[in-house]
Order: sequence, then structure tokens, then C-alpha cells
Amino acid sequence: MSNINGKVYAMNCVTPMKPWKTPILRLIFFLLWHIKSKQQDLINLSFIEFARWVIVPKTQFPYLGNRQHKEQLQYDYLLFFSNFNGTWNQYIDAFSAVLSTGLNLIWRWSEKFPGAVPITPFKTYIAQVQFDTDYYYTAYPYATANDLKAAHIVQASLDQLSQRVDTDNPDQFAEHYLQFVLQVQAHLGVTGAAPLC
Amino acid sequence: MSKLNETDIQGFVLRGYNLPFARHLFLHFEDSARARKFIFELLDQITTGQRWDHGKPESTLNIAFTHRGLVALDLPTATLLSFPVEFQEGMKRRAEILGDTGASDPTKWDELWQKDGIHSWLGISAVSPEALDARSAQLQSLMSETNGATLLGSQDAASLFFDGKPCNKEHFGFTDGFGNPDYLGVDRDSQPGQGKLMPDGTWQRLATGELLLGYADEAGELPPAPVPHLLASNGTFMVYRKLHQNVATFRAYLDSQAANYGGGKEKLAAKFIGRWRDGTPLELSPDQPDQSIVMDPARSTNFTYANDPSGTRCPIGAHVRRVHPRDAFGFNGKLIDRRRITRRGLPYGKAALENEPITDSDERGVIFIALNASLVRQFEFIQQQWINYGNDAHQGNDKDILMGNHGGKGRFVVQGDTNLANPPLVCSHLPNFVELRGGDYFFLPSITALGMIGMDLVDPR
Amino acid sequence: MPNQNGKLYGLTFLAPIIDDKKATPSHDLQIRAYLATLPTDQNSPFAKAPSTHLCRLVVMDDVVFVGHPAHEEHLKSKYLIFETNCDSDATDYLTGLAKTIPQQLDAIWSHCVGYPGAANLSEFLSYMKACQLKTTFFFAAVNDKSLPESLRALATQRAVVDFIADHQGMDPGRLQSEFKQFLAELKACPIPEPGAMAPLRNIKTGGRNE
Repeated sequence: MSNINGKVYAMNCVTPMKPWKTPILRLIFFLLWHIKSKQQDLINLSFIEFARWVIVPKTQFPYLGNRQHKEQLQYDYLLFFSNFNGTWNQYIDAFSAVLSTGLNLIWRWSEKFPGAVPITPFKTYIAQVQFDTDYYYTAYPYATANDLKAAHIVQASLDQLSQRVDTDNPDQFAEHYLQFVLQVQAHLGVTGAAPLC
Repeated sequence: MSKLNETDIQGFVLRGYNLPFARHLFLHFEDSARARKFIFELLDQITTGQRWDHGKPESTLNIAFTHRGLVALDLPTATLLSFPVEFQEGMKRRAEILGDTGASDPTKWDELWQKDGIHSWLGISAVSPEALDARSAQLQSLMSETNGATLLGSQDAASLFFDGKPCNKEHFGFTDGFGNPDYLGVDRDSQPGQGKLMPDGTWQRLATGELLLGYADEAGELPPAPVPHLLASNGTFMVYRKLHQNVATFRAYLDSQAANYGGGKEKLAAKFIGRWRDGTPLELSPDQPDQSIVMDPARSTNFTYANDPSGTRCPIGAHVRRVHPRDAFGFNGKLIDRRRITRRGLPYGKAALENEPITDSDERGVIFIALNASLVRQFEFIQQQWINYGNDAHQGNDKDILMGNHGGKGRFVVQGDTNLANPPLVCSHLPNFVELRGGDYFFLPSITALGMIGMDLVDPR
Repeated sequence: MPNQNGKLYGLTFLAPIIDDKKATPSHDLQIRAYLATLPTDQNSPFAKAPSTHLCRLVVMDDVVFVGHPAHEEHLKSKYLIFETNCDSDATDYLTGLAKTIPQQLDAIWSHCVGYPGAANLSEFLSYMKACQLKTTFFFAAVNDKSLPESLRALATQRAVVDFIADHQGMDPGRLQSEFKQFLAELKACPIPEPGAMAPLRNIKTGGRNE
């Protein structure tokens, strides 16, 4: 019953939106999706493994009959699920410092959003709209997004070098091996348990 | 921004005194009334941030309190509870968070620090050992006169002396003391590389609130602080850590690794830290030390890592790159503006010459002192995320080679290139070069706050 | 394709939880109690079922009242949120779950309105599709590698660091033959268990230090 599993944190947030604002947010997400350069900042803040936003219009909470009461709501709701590395504070500090424009663009349509800057009212708001995870599973608790990227670089370089091992003579191989080491040398951090919080 | 009132801020916060001798006295308060009287008597001796127009004094004096010290002084409960959680807990209870386990576990600390009796720190700096002794004696007599405090223990520290002259080196042989941040309002010459990096590549002073409570910080606000305002303003938090250095192990390890390193021993030592032992930054001079850079304030801290993403000049996990990443995380360095600390420490123990026979059990190390407005966000973050962990630097779980709690299993990668004098090297089985022997978190109040405490005038609102 | 980013799928399900005043404890609490004891490591049902990178289960009690001038309103049901980041689309993924961990699915979702059980695959799929929300925006840091590929790469990386560390300054002939052997051993190693904290590695990297 924890928000944390190994090196990754599961954050869940729900915020209300006046329904007339929802199409604006959908447009923003549409643009964000198609203008890849806007995603670059998100990619460069390399501590997010997966994140998603889900707009739930007020009439679209799943209704399965069977004595379930139909929802009668005034607001549409924006659900946010993030899987990130590092601490809660570190995560929010980073976004507030460098991605406040993007955050504001997404959450300004939610009621009473105070803006991503300054930091304290922002953290207060998140604490208010965040709800806790009951069960959190990760297939690689010992690896962050950075570790995964490093691992794939190492794997790709190794695969390349493997093609040489049978055809090279020792000196040629030694040279290719050095090239391999230089390719992977920035990606050799050991993986393991997360620091204690 | 508002001008700082230097007469209200303890001098220790605003400036390194550059006095070669220090003594740290650790006090215990038996009775809150007598303790307050002692503090009140001490008030006009406390060195403030005022400029010394008539040359350096013989000695300086500053004071700070642990949370249990503030409790012992009988401050109101609401005030006590308004202090940050990590300060209330104290450094010992935060051991697992800070990675102070194994050889640095509190059960291995000096007895002074294992007990929970320290209420106050009195920091004396002096021009000479005689001045130091004189000041200590004077303080001890004040303690007995007022019966306001008992001395639990003391710790001496001093610059290392070579050929009878003090220098900036620490026991592993590295020149220390670079890179203390520049802050708005703090009257100290700024240098490029010490403040915060701007998008246009220039360096500007950091917000005052990153060092002092009661001022706007880098997050665009007046951060939450203990109440009342007057108690917290112009104060700061101090981290005190007695770091024992295993100099023999370090020398042996460097020698053994250097045998396999094409660049030679001095270059390898430089790769560990990110500066040559004389202080030359690797980023500016990757092939040899260059004193002209060290002596030039326009250059000695003026570099970024943008042109060295692979770490071939300065390894990605090198010490200075870890603790002050500059632009290494992208975003023009903005991610690290709230992760800076001001350091005021000094070595302790006798300097050892290069070929002098020494053992790890010799008393040698550094008294690491850091000042910051937020322990959890600044010092603790650096210690937890950048020293004993490596993810932000894309180094997985690898710890800082110099200060990491390796337990014999650590690893450090020196990135290199095809140049035979700059090859890649993986250093394994890292032992602990540094072990924690004690320490705690202290609150360094303003002069006004000290007066309020001394006169029992602290009201939470 | 909002549910998908590269090769990764971000599936979101919201299942209304049965509201039965006579149930003691209530159904949402029963789900919570069950989830509290469910392993989250290599013994997790999601480690046994294929294709899950990360997933979570959350009982959403209600929406949040953020304060005046926003209106206070409440959900009439509680919902079980299932958020998963996986390698396959909804149909294939849910089929995988139903085939490998039906018992655990039933234990959780039996507390939800209209749940037919995992035994009848088409009914199970229809039910879950009825609960599926369209993900509006899905971000994945690594979006082009499947779970087995990622686990294998992570194990490779660990083995490679050791190999490099143990083979520094070695003469080329020996380096090459030991590297060949290293590759063979790496290939023979099974893919590390999903969910385990440290990937078990029996492989030795040879060299002078082992």
C-alpha cells in the first residue's frame, strides 16, 4: 500500500474542470502530441518512466447498470498518473523550476489551480488533489528511466561488437573493443535499490 | 531586494573568516533560565557580518543551537514545532536517509556525538593557537560564572600547514574551498561560476533566501520558515559533520589504480575530483595543472560541462561535477539553483607529507560545515541523491568516489578517449575514503533572535 | 493514438465498485485489504502475466473538493482504477491476464459492478472494454523496447560493467577469447525475473579479479 516501489513513485491526481474548458485542454494535448519538440523538455527531464492524462467527461464515468447509480456531476475531471524516479519534492521542484509554462498550460483549466510558480502553493494544491496508490507493480524496481536508457545503449553496442568477435584478429578486436568501451563508458552505473526516504 | 543588515547576521554566515585556527565547543544547558542568561551575556561578543575596518580580530565567536537545545532553552512549543522536521529529528535520526550506515553508522561515532546532549555550538576562529586558547578560557569562565552551560567536548580544526604556512589543501592533497555560491545582498566579490547560470551563459547571484531565512528564494517566494518571523529571519541552518579521512587507504588506492592508468597518478587524482590537486579545473585544463587559472578569479570557477557531455575531460561522476552540476542536467542549469550550499569547514589533525608513513586510524579529516536555508532541500538532497546515489548524473547507483559510503563495493568510471594519456578506466572495489564520526544540525540565529532567546521574549505569533 | 506511444500501450480502466450497504467490510475496503497483501515483487501476479512494465491499482473513493468558489460534489460510486503500461493492446493484454492470473483478477474485480469473471474470455473482455477510458495523452520515456528486451538489456549492462572492469589492460588474444565466452554465457542466461529487486545473475565474467 505504498506509492513507492523500488526507484519509482506512483502519483495519482484528480482535478475538476468546468466542462466548457475541456475542449481547450484536448486541443492542447493534441498539439503537444503532434508537435514533438514540445515533448523534448519532458524527455530531457529524464526521471519520468511513464505518465498519462485521462480526461473523464462528467457523463463518461463507466456506468454498468445493475443497481449502480449514474453519476450526476457538474465538472469534468482530469486524471493524472505519473511514474517517476526520485522523491515527491524533487519531482515537483524540477517541474516548477523548468516546465512551469507547460504545467500551467495543462492545469490552468482545473479549478483553483494556483500556478506552478511559486512552489509552496503549488505543492499544497498537489497534496490536496493527490490520492494514494493501493497497489504498485514495476517489472524493474532497481532501474530508473536513465538506467533503462543506459542499458539499451549498452545492449546495442554489445550487439554491434558481437558481430566482430569471430571475424577480427586479436589486434583488430582490441581496437573495436576500445571503441565499444568508449561508446558505453558513460552508461555503466550499477543498478540496485533506491535511496531511503 | 532589501539590503542586508550585516550587524544583525552572524559573520560566520556571510563570510569565511580565513583565520587558520578554529575550536568548536559543544555545550549542554542544565537550566533554561541560566542558559538564557549566559546567551544574553554572550551577545555583544558574537561576531557579526560587519566589515572589519581595523583589520582582522584576534578571534571571532559565533553560536548555534540544535533543536534539543532550543527545547532546553524553553522556547514556546508552537515555535519549536514550526521548525522543519529534519531539524527537529537531528542528523543522527536521519542516518539512513543520508547514507550514514556501515562505517559511518552512529554507533561508530565519537562518544560526544553518540550521546544526545549537545544543545549548542560555539565556534571560535583565531589567528593563532594562543588567541584560540585565550578565547576558550574566557568563554569557560563565563560559563562557570553564569552556571549557564557545561562543556561536553570540543573539536579543534585548523588549516593544514606546510613549511610553517597555512594553505588551502585538505588531507588527500586536494586544494579545497572553491565554489561557495554568490548571493544577492551578501557583500563578497562574485566570480563567474559561483552563482546561478543564466540562459545567456553569464552567472548571476543566487537569491538571498537560499542562504538566509526571511528572504525570497529561487522558487519565487518567501519560503515557509519557523515562527515568529523575527526568530527565523537573518538566520540559517548549519550542518556539522566530522568526516574522518582514511588517508592511508586513499593513497594506496590511488597508487594501485594509477599503475593501470595511462595518464599517470596526478591525472587520475584529478579525475576523481574534477580538479587537479592544485585546484585547476579539469574542464579548463584537462592535460596539466595551470596555476594561472587557479589564481584568476575570472577563470578558476568559470566553466560549464556543455562541451564535455561524455565526461572525457571531467568524468561524469567526478566529485565537483556531482556536487555542483552546473549545466550538466540541461535546462541552462536551472534545476540546480536550489541545491547549493555554502561551506565553512576546516581540516583537523596533523598534515601528513606525501611519503610520510601514516595509518588510517590517525586522527585526520575535515570538519565539514555547510550553511543553507533548507536542510532537506539543499544539504540532504545533495548527500542523498548526488553523493550516495547517481541517478541524476546518469550514473545509476554509483556513489561519489571521494565521499560515498562504498563499503568496499563501490565503482567509479573515468571516461576517456583514444588518447593513450586519457584512456577509459573503471575503478572498482572502492573502500570508504571518508567515514562520519559525528555531527548534527544547528540553527544559527540572527543577533536579534539571540537577544529574543536571551531575554525569553520568543512568542510564536 | 493516445493509448499508444511507440510500441508501448498506456491502458486505463475505471471499474465501478459495488455499493452494498450490507457488505461488511464494504467492497472497496475488501479490495484494499486484498491489495495490501498482494506481493509487488517477482511474486506479483503481474510478474507472472506477460507484458506489464508498470501498473497500479487504486481505489478512488471520491473526487476532490478544491474549495470555494469551486462547487462541492461527490461521486455516487467508488471506482477501481487500473493503470497499466504494457507491450500489447487492450485485447491481447487482457487476454494474457485472463489466461495466466484469473484467480487474482477475480479476487479483485469480483467487488466491482457487473464483473463476469475471468473464466469466460469474451465476457471478461467486454466488461473491461466497458470500463476502459481513453487515455488522452500518454508519455513513455523508453517507448520502443518490449519488457523482455528491457529486462535483458538491464542484465546485460550489469554484466558488461563487470566484464570491462575485470578485463582492463588484458592482452588482445585473451581479451577476445574471454569476450567470446562472455557472450555465450550471456546468451545462455535466462531473462531476469520481472519484479525482482536485483536481477539474479549467475554469469561469471572471468578475468583476473574473480
